[in-house]
Amino acid sequence: MAKKETRKAACHFCHMNCGILATVENGVITKMVGDPEHPFNLGGQCPRGASALDHLNHPDRINYPLKRVGERGSGKFVRVTWDEALTDIALRLTEIKEKYGAEGLCTLGGTNRTDDFARRRFFNIWGSPNVSHTANICWIPNFLNETSGYGWGAFDPEAATSKLVIVWGHNSGSSYIPELRTYLEAKEKNGTTFIVVDPIYTDTAAKADLWLPIRPGSDNALALAMLNVIIKENLYDKKFVEEFTYGFDQVKERVQQYTPEWAAKECGIEAELIIKAARMYANAKPASYVWGVALDQQGRGSSKGAQARCILRAICGNIDVPGGDVIPGPHPTFTTDWELELNDMLPEEQRAKQIGSDRFKLQTWPGYKYMSDNLVEVWGKSIPAEWFCESTPAMLMRAMAEEKPYPVKACIILADNPLVAYPNSKLVFKALMNQEFIVAMEYWMTPSALLADYVLPCASWQERPLMTTTYGVSDWLIASQRACKPLFERITDYEFWRELSIKLGYGEYWPWETDEDMFFARMEKFGLQNYGIEDYDTFVSYVRMNFADRAYEKHKIHKEQGIKPFATTTGKIELYNKTFEHLGYDPLPAYVERPFKPSEEYPYYLIAGGGFMPYFHSEHREITRLRLLKPYPHCMINSRVAAEKGIKNEDWVWIETPIGRIKQRAFCTEAISPECIQVERGWWFPEKGVDTLFGVFESNANVLVDDDPETLDECCGSYCCRGQACKIYKVQEGDRNEDVEELLAMLNGGAK
Amino acid sequence: MHYGTLVDLRKCVGCNACTVACQIENELPLNMKYTRVLTTPTEGVYPNVTRYNMPVPCQHCNEAPCIEGCPTGASYRTEDGIVLVNPDKCVGCKFCMVVCPYEARVFNRETGVVQKCKLCTERLHYVTAKGKSKPKPPRCVEVCHMKCRYYGDLDDPNSEISQMIKAFNAKPLKEEAGTKPSMYYIFPDENNKIGKL
Repeated sequence: MAKKETRKAACHFCHMNCGILATVENGVITKMVGDPEHPFNLGGQCPRGASALDHLNHPDRINYPLKRVGERGSGKFVRVTWDEALTDIALRLTEIKEKYGAEGLCTLGGTNRTDDFARRRFFNIWGSPNVSHTANICWIPNFLNETSGYGWGAFDPEAATSKLVIVWGHNSGSSYIPELRTYLEAKEKNGTTFIVVDPIYTDTAAKADLWLPIRPGSDNALALAMLNVIIKENLYDKKFVEEFTYGFDQVKERVQQYTPEWAAKECGIEAELIIKAARMYANAKPASYVWGVALDQQGRGSSKGAQARCILRAICGNIDVPGGDVIPGPHPTFTTDWELELNDMLPEEQRAKQIGSDRFKLQTWPGYKYMSDNLVEVWGKSIPAEWFCESTPAMLMRAMAEEKPYPVKACIILADNPLVAYPNSKLVFKALMNQEFIVAMEYWMTPSALLADYVLPCASWQERPLMTTTYGVSDWLIASQRACKPLFERITDYEFWRELSIKLGYGEYWPWETDEDMFFARMEKFGLQNYGIEDYDTFVSYVRMNFADRAYEKHKIHKEQGIKPFATTTGKIELYNKTFEHLGYDPLPAYVERPFKPSEEYPYYLIAGGGFMPYFHSEHREITRLRLLKPYPHCMINSRVAAEKGIKNEDWVWIETPIGRIKQRAFCTEAISPECIQVERGWWFPEKGVDTLFGVFESNANVLVDDDPETLDECCGSYCCRGQACKIYKVQEGDRNEDVEELLAMLNGGAK
Repeated sequence: MHYGTLVDLRKCVGCNACTVACQIENELPLNMKYTRVLTTPTEGVYPNVTRYNMPVPCQHCNEAPCIEGCPTGASYRTEDGIVLVNPDKCVGCKFCMVVCPYEARVFNRETGVVQKCKLCTERLHYVTAKGKSKPKPPRCVEVCHMKCRYYGDLDDPNSEISQMIKAFNAKPLKEEAGTKPSMYYIFPDENNKIGKL
């Protein structure tokens, strides 16, 4: 009789990690539906999750290790065995190390479909500090501002019981749907007020009680003006400020200049509306605000914006209270990512070589080390170095392309497509073309994978267990099973790092043979054996989750225990930020001039980001079912502006910044301000051939995004995706992109 | 018993999960959909604008022109109010596709018959191998992240769906077409805000 079972998997087509029930018959998945018992999605799925079997069984998936045989980028590969591939990779990496030092090898990561502690463990053993993601435009600047100010991120908004929620620079209706469901439920059940800050009338803004249609790149001005109003009108929580914060008087003095009238000019929002929002936020207790990626994407000034918002929350008494913004702290008994990274193995002199750390100090070793010491003192654990301590992408790409300050000549790319994911795509291309050795572990033959020496087959979430821990910074975990064994010769990233380590002679550091063994070992302190739970699969079947006992207002408990109430230098919430002072940055909130301004030639603010269904980042263009829902890239342009330019719906238009131009089709609408153009990100065309590198420069938003170091966030090196200056005009027949043609010519003879 | 459905347009984000899940559930070719998700044109001038999304499958009308005009009697209504097509009787003349005010029907080129939303009849009447009745919601209801879809008995004034229709003044689409749909929509407007109850 056929064996039929239900497996508890978790979708990893975005960070939500919705629970999925997989029906498996004789080892083959026949159905995947939302798990009604999963606390996030309650049985729901988005179109990506619903079509997960298309992804698993897609004919274009990478199924075997591939070795390049033609010139770099020629698309000529042959199948090799895993053993051949790993043996050769180990040999080539050893040569790189001999020639350029350990730091000559870097790694570029995708957005956490992977167990990144393993990557960092490998790199720490290997000796290179050059690990990177595009983390500095995604959450990390906000989290690090919170960590430096509060001694951990207050990233767990309890929207369900908040009186007011601000969704700031985040369109959960398109990118994180279950989250929007919880806001609307809160609104329905508790009358929670719902404010959305966004330049675009999004599906989230459409559901708000108050929508603040902000000009891109002026969020810092809005936060500063809200501080100005709240302090001037004495709406802040005086008791909390007095007892638990440091530097209030200096902040008070500093923000006097940032009046709502001043901010109105910056933000394009009437002063009265700013005052109203400030009063609403301060008077609603408890209130919470939700992190939005747009705040990390302002380029220069990103961290200052985050800092002003951190202060807003702190002085209104919303930190770590029920219905406010809760600081979870690390999981006390689960072995976190940080504990497994072996950061102590990376010597001082190698840390000092981390690219970008001389200038962008908050998200690199100088800031990380300083904050970590504070965190360990109070929590006993720190945050992982992955994401929170990385080479600055813009600087790393320059090192890869130009070999300054030293050559970085080999790169391991993990479930990531840097040509689309990183800014300044043409520079990324030069960086990859200048590598002596590239390994890409991938699901698909992406434009970036096409440039690799080895392309290795990666198991997707249906084929691997998954542990959801919010990058190892939360006090809870949800564990999920693999629905089926990896198909063909696909393996997980953990297995890859382990196998490669064994080839290089580091086998002793990798005792756990499988992902399941590794996860189960990390739960050792739970005492699961006492309950007859002997392995990971059984844990998921019967328990699945672990939410540590959570106390609110932990600062009060810490105070009673005689330890620092908050894990900062002063033990208080630092409105005057000591970490910033230590690193040589302005310790107080301040307005920073936007890095780009519209000009006569480039008159519009470019929004080069924003999630949209049915895609996630640069993924899913191969899935026909999804592609038919959205075959072409679209840019959003105000209807009146479009009419003036003779642009009609669905016309192909060029969007151009000083560093390049791309074409997308026009979507003319009053949902966007006449000052702005929004382009869709993540576009490449798997159906186009290798000659154009799958059309990677045609419609890819990052071709437009300048990452000139002068325009980056001073603390984290974040580049500006919200508010570069652009122009827009119709595509004419015969239009060519000569600079792209020149680049692509490198593929035909220009390459080594 | 008369099955009806309801979509709360105040919540729908237009993600198309229902479209995709339905397509997979019904094993449709990739170019066929039983549910289209439309977005209304943005009304007003920035920033004073409105816009919403609207899934439009078969409305399971009580005065269904597709049934009335079907020359072979392939289109019919079940006792519990669901409009279905009998593929054995359908000759693919497409008359029903022309008269449907909701453009809810699609022609399957592979089989030569017209198909449409069946309100997941098999799921509604699901019986386990052991003969136990275990109704499952239509797949579009089950998959919806926003929980904006409802189904139930319109004949029962106390059913959730009947109560919702009453409380939020839900209306069918294109009422003027006179087809008396069994599908209702809660439209977003100033008097109908979430949390007002």
